[in-house]
Amino acid sequence: MENTAIAASLALVACATAGIGISYATAKAVEAVARQPEASSKIQTVMLLGAALAEATAIYGFVIALLMIFTK
Amino acid sequence: MEGFGEKIVEVMASNRIDIHMFGYTIPISNAVITMWIIMAVLIVLSIVFTRKFKTIPEGKQNVVETIVELINKLTESSLGHHWRLFAPYIGTVLLFLVFANTISIFNIIPSGEQLYHMTHIEALKEFPDFNLLPPTKNASVAMGFAVMSMVAVIVSGIRVKKVKGWLKSFIEPVPILLPFKILDYFIRPLSLCFRQYGNVLGAVIIMELLYCALPAFLPGVVSIYFDIFDGILQAYVFVFLTSLYIAEVVE
Repeated sequence: MENTAIAASLALVACATAGIGISYATAKAVEAVARQPEASSKIQTVMLLGAALAEATAIYGFVIALLMIFTK
Repeated sequence: MEGFGEKIVEVMASNRIDIHMFGYTIPISNAVITMWIIMAVLIVLSIVFTRKFKTIPEGKQNVVETIVELINKLTESSLGHHWRLFAPYIGTVLLFLVFANTISIFNIIPSGEQLYHMTHIEALKEFPDFNLLPPTKNASVAMGFAVMSMVAVIVSGIRVKKVKGWLKSFIEPVPILLPFKILDYFIRPLSLCFRQYGNVLGAVIIMELLYCALPAFLPGVVSIYFDIFDGILQAYVFVFLTSLYIAEVVE
């Protein structure tokens, strides 16, 4: 059981990487909006999409952790 | 801490309701029943909202036109001049997923027993229980949607390019890429499925933990993000990726 807990917490390292990815995308989007405020709506959709895609890695980690804990 | 783990197991399990008919037992899972409810609501709404159209829109026709225009614009931006063929499918999946992912906002309404505990009024005990969980928290439902969009990708590729052109697209630009192109058809539905399933399940688990840790006020605020915003965003991402895959095949 202890090994499973360690493995699950290691799988959640993916969440940290997703955080880095999303923050990078957001920073770039803010820069782009500051440079070109008239394109903000387009930038917003692209940024949301990119953030959702980057979030997928965190979700994979989460799903794998759940599977490790709850499937014997 | 034991209570939390049990709560998570309870949320993750898909409860079944057995229907006994003609000597057979038909197990029906919770997700299917929730989807029936969503289907009924969508069908009734679409019948009510699309009656008696006029040239100059007014009232509820404005709402329908806004939604349809939004879907058309979404498909047109990613699919180019083929959008007319795929807009109905994309729109249907988008509407269904938006309803399916945000259905857990009805959890905010307390059940009859909770109301009875709070007020001690006997009549409130009969109040119906709105404990609906989004069906996409079930991996099989999410996989069903992912397989559906992959079938749509294959069918649209064959329809637009004909069989010969579609088969030829596997070995273009270089034949070395053939295994990867075939692998694409298995990895894409998996990633679509896990994205949808993981996001919704994560939101459901967090909301359920909040409900049992802090039952007052806070869940209502957090639910705006986890139930409404996240659900709509994931539905949007799902159909956007589907239309992106279709566009890649159709080009």
